Amino acid sequence: MDDLTEMLKGTLEGCVLEIIGGEETYGYAITRRLNELGFTDVVEGTVYTILLRLERNGFVRVAKRPSEMGPPRKFYALNEAGRAELATFWAKWEYMTSRIDKLKEGGR
Amino acid sequence: MNLWDTITGNDLTREWKAFEARAEALPEEHRAAWNEMFGHLFPYGDFTGRNLMPILDQALGLLELAAADGQGVHEVLGDDIGGFCAALAGEEGARSHRDRWREQVNRNVARKLGRLGG
Amino acid sequence: MGIQDMIEGKKQWRAHVARVKALPPDYRIVYQEMQKYFFKVGPIDLTDGTLLSGLVDFFEEGAAAGKGVLQLIGDDVAAFCDDLIKDSRTYAELYLESVSREAGAGGRS
Repeated sequence: MDDLTEMLKGTLEGCVLEIIGGEETYGYAITRRLNELGFTDVVEGTVYTILLRLERNGFVRVAKRPSEMGPPRKFYALNEAGRAELATFWAKWEYMTSRIDKLKEGGR
Repeated sequence: MNLWDTITGNDLTREWKAFEARAEALPEEHRAAWNEMFGHLFPYGDFTGRNLMPILDQALGLLELAAADGQGVHEVLGDDIGGFCAALAGEEGARSHRDRWREQVNRNVARKLGRLGG
Repeated sequence: MGIQDMIEGKKQWRAHVARVKALPPDYRIVYQEMQKYFFKVGPIDLTDGTLLSGLVDFFEEGAAAGKGVLQLIGDDVAAFCDDLIKDSRTYAELYLESVSREAGAGGRS
């Protein structure tokens, strides 16, 4: 779907947390995963800015590992604070989607 | 260097001297622009000018980068040096300047990458 | 004095510039435009953190994978820049705070 950028903005960080929460991974793999999900506009640069923010806020453990090609790659895994942040994200998500669904169904 | 005379003798002399030395190392065009920027920025400072130091440092750094990249003053600062400096100091109009800088980034990238591809 | 420390004849800065020079031309062009933008906006991350060196790490990875720079970061380079410094305060903000603090304290000492 085109032009999801604005709508995705607040939630992409949660998506990245969820992906990292599954297993330790790196920027390109995260981007590919999002693309496969159907978020085709997401580029590596977008994921890079999110990873930087997660790192700065202390939600991830970062390890540099050598890669088959080119410079070493940064791998990310969630720490305690990151797990808590992810849980918060899903709680907010549940709340928001339940409200919006209600609105759509014409409830109040 | 009249401007420098205004401020020598205060407790920041050493730091000001360092600015002066960096400015001396700039190409003439960029040095002239620095003097002009300094004139615009100086009134924003408090009595010692200490609060202005990081902004002046930033302005000088920008000119140093431009000089290192072989880029002319006009290309970096545009026509309105006074307005540019006000924007550096976060004054009125900073937002519209930032919009302009943003457009400049994308325009320059498009132009230079286009030239590369040709 | 941040930028002065960063730039002035420091070994680290020279090494950094050399890494930028070693990037493919499209990456180099975009890096230089981004750097200039950061120097205008003046985020304090510019000298406090790893904004620029991290960016070069990222670009080196992308180049090594054989991607074009816009393929890596998207067409809107300025938006990418703003995303990178979203959480960082700027020198202008610090300056304005210092001014208002002074006004609050009843003027200069």
